[in-house]
Formats: sequence, structure tokens, C-alpha cells
Amino acid sequence: MNKNSLLILMSVILLGAGATWVIQKANSSHDLPVIKDVPSFLFKTQDGESFSENELKGKITVLDFMFTTCAGPCPIMTNNMAHLYQDYTNVEEVQFVSITVDPAVDNEEILKQYANANGVDDDRWQFLTSDIDAIKDLKKNGFMLYADELPRGHAIKFVLIDPKGRIRKYYDGTDKASIAVLRNDLNNLVKEIRS
Amino acid sequence: MNTFRTFSFITTAMTYLLIFVGGLVRVAGAGMGCPDWPKCFDRWIPPTSLDQLPDHIDPAKFNIVLAWIEYSNRLLGALVGLAIMITTYLAFKYYRNVIRITWSVLAAFFLTLVEGWLGSVLVDTVLNPITITLHLLLALVIVMLLLYSAQEAFYLENHDSEKGSRYPPNMKWMFGILSITLLAEVVLGTEIRGGLEMIREDNPMLDSQFLLRMLGPFKYIHTMLGFIISGLSGLLWLRLVKQSQNPSTIMIQSSTAILGLVITQIIMGELLVFLDVIPLIQLFHMWVASWILGLVMIQYTAWNQSQLAHE
Repeated sequence: MNKNSLLILMSVILLGAGATWVIQKANSSHDLPVIKDVPSFLFKTQDGESFSENELKGKITVLDFMFTTCAGPCPIMTNNMAHLYQDYTNVEEVQFVSITVDPAVDNEEILKQYANANGVDDDRWQFLTSDIDAIKDLKKNGFMLYADELPRGHAIKFVLIDPKGRIRKYYDGTDKASIAVLRNDLNNLVKEIRS
Repeated sequence: MNTFRTFSFITTAMTYLLIFVGGLVRVAGAGMGCPDWPKCFDRWIPPTSLDQLPDHIDPAKFNIVLAWIEYSNRLLGALVGLAIMITTYLAFKYYRNVIRITWSVLAAFFLTLVEGWLGSVLVDTVLNPITITLHLLLALVIVMLLLYSAQEAFYLENHDSEKGSRYPPNMKWMFGILSITLLAEVVLGTEIRGGLEMIREDNPMLDSQFLLRMLGPFKYIHTMLGFIISGLSGLLWLRLVKQSQNPSTIMIQSSTAILGLVITQIIMGELLVFLDVIPLIQLFHMWVASWILGLVMIQYTAWNQSQLAHE
């Protein structure tokens, strides 16, 4: 083997080793911190059933706060959530929860209509309501999200909750790039459960 | 070697490294490592911790590893841009009257600017698949232009390099067909890659084998073209090395290397299908394709030089 081909071979091996290291670094960089436990709560779903923090256990949950008559960011958020709901049809470990911040308007009946309008046809996406104080408390103290001027001052975050009911990460529910990160994190969590 | 040739050699090597790093960004999933452009999280030096993040950017998007992978691609890209600029200046200095050299270097420089702009489009569109393909395709054209101009400059000073060699005439079309097939193959390859990602997004958690099967015809055309390419490069080798008189060293080496690399590509491609979609193999599968294209350019330029020498 002459000097040149040896040099090329060495460079290729070196590049391959470097790339392997970078790819491994990138793969392990998706670790999610455990932020805190979701505190206990007891709300009602669009079907009138009880939904508490226990329903978060054993599933990976994507959760947001919205209201049905909101014209601002909510339609974008709900649209993004609906896409996720569709795409994860076959991934039974993942569920979606939307909590209204306008319970005076959003009763069970309205939420049910809203769910239907967004293509919800199974129990993987639940819409929750309760009294305003309980919602405000859960949002502000449980999820550490802005809740001072409800309904309009609601946060646009999607919250990722792991099967132990722990908050793992927040995402901008209106931003395409953030949702892409969320998908990736979701997939990693599902892989973690399945392995 | 004069300054121009030294510089275009360095620039070509850097561009190949850049293509590798670009592929690395892709397989590491770091394309959105910096959600803005040209700055990264509104900084010229990417942040090293969360509290350096400006308020208007969602912290969920911050991943220090991915940010630096993406940013190193941009930094190297800027460096290559600078190198090509110097090469262009030198081309005009040494070869003002040799249009084939000045124009190809100038085209390379212009395309490098387009590459930078495409990079910004990629970030804006959250990695639009067609733009990704175009981003790679332009890089390949740039590297071919650089190789061509360097080799032409070499022949200007070494008139006799292809004087002793006699290759079959009328082969231009074969080089043309091979180059076009190769570029089409690269496009198909990136489409397979992009298609896999899109199907994966709509169907998370399905394994790669199943996803590949869902891609259907794309994959078969890619494989078929692969065999056509190996046939063509085998034919070229036969005509340019075996059926020629005194083929030059550069011709023997480039023709043989092309054949060897095409076979390597088929092996790597089949490994990707039958084993698993392994990122490192994906990366080299793409990179070796860029090598083959460069070598075909060298092969063609050598053949062309010999034809001119015997006119």
C-alpha cells in the first residue's frame, strides 16, 4: 500500500471514529430532566367521568391548557395536538389531555362537541373541566404556568408527563420546531418503556 | 504547484470535509440544533447553558450538543466560503484568460453563497426535504467545479500528461449519462432518507425495516440504478484502462477507484436494508457518493485532455 492510500485510509478511520462519537453524544443528549410531580387533582372529562392524577400513571401524557372559544393561539395548539393524536394512533402508551381555562363556558357538552370537531374518536385524548379556582391552582402551582388572567392569559405550553406522573419538559405548542423536539422526546420515552 | 493549485486543493479537501459534517448533522438529527440563522439562539457563539437563552426562544429547543454540531457545520461552511473566495481571486490572478477555469471557480463561489442561503431556508422551513436534497446537490456540484478547475490548471502547466495516452473517442455521452445517473441516485437516496423520516413522523415507533418496506418503489429504483451505475463504471474502466493505449496513472487510479467505491456503495446500501438503518453507514453511503462524483469529474477531464492533445 502506498503512502497516499494509507493516508486516506487513516483519515477515513479517524473521521468514522469522530462521527461515531458525535452521533453517540447526540443520541444521549436527549435525556429529559425530571422537573416535578403533578400534584393530585380531580377533574371531569368531556364524557362526565372523573379524571385524576392517577389517570396519568402508566401512560405518557401530552397536556395543555386551552378554551374552546379562544381565537388566538388555541386553534394552532389544538391543531398541533390533533396532529399528534392522529399520528400516535397506534402508540397506546401515549395519551393527550387538554384542560379548559374557561369552565364557565366550556361545560362537558361543549367540550364533547369540541372533541368531536377535532376528530377525537377514542379515549386517548381527554378534555377536562372543573371549577375555575381548582384549574387556576393546578395550572399555577401544579404546572408552574402563568394563570393570572384566565381565560385569555393562558399559557401556550405543551407539557410532557412521564408514566410516573412527573413533569419532564415544556414545549411551545404553537411552534413547529418545538413540536418536532416533542415528537422526538415522546419517541424516546416510549422506547424507554418498551425496553 | 502554484498558489492557485495549492489553494484549490485545500479548498476541495475542506469542501469534502464539509459534506461529511453536513451529513453528520443530518444523521445526528441536529439540523434544527440552532433554531435561527445565521446566529444560534441569537448569539454568534452558541449558548453553553439555558440561562444564556433569550426570552423569545422556547428553551425546549435548546440542546447544547445539537447546537454545536449544527454550528460547526455553519462555521466550516463559512470557512469554505472564504477559501473559495480566495481561490476565485487566485484564479483571476493566474488564469485571467482561461475562461474554463475562471468561470468554474466563479460558479463554485456563487453556488457557495446559494448554499448559505439554502441553509437559512432549511431552518425557516424546519428542514424541508426538498431543500435538504438541493443543499446536498449543490455541494456536489461545487466540489466537481473545484476539482475540474484544479485539474485544468494542472494540465496548463503539464501539457504532456495525457500526450502518450490514447483513449477511445466519442465517450462524452458515457460520462454524461454516468454523472446524471449518479446525481439522480443521490436525489433518490436523500428522498429515501427524507421519506423514511416523514413516514416515521406519521407512524412513530415502527421499526426501520417496516418503514423501508413502506417506501416501496423508491428503494427498488435506487437499487436498480445502483446496478446500472456499477455496469457503467465497469464499462468505463474496461474502455479507459483495458482498451486504451498507455492510460495515464490518474486515469487508471480514478477508474479503478470509481469501480471499487461503487461496489462499496452497493454493499453499504444492502447493509442498510438488511441489517438496520445505521447512522454511521448512512453517513458514509452519502459521503462515498460524493467521492465517486468527484472521481468521475477527474476521469472525464483526463479523457478530455487526451482528446484535445491529439486533435
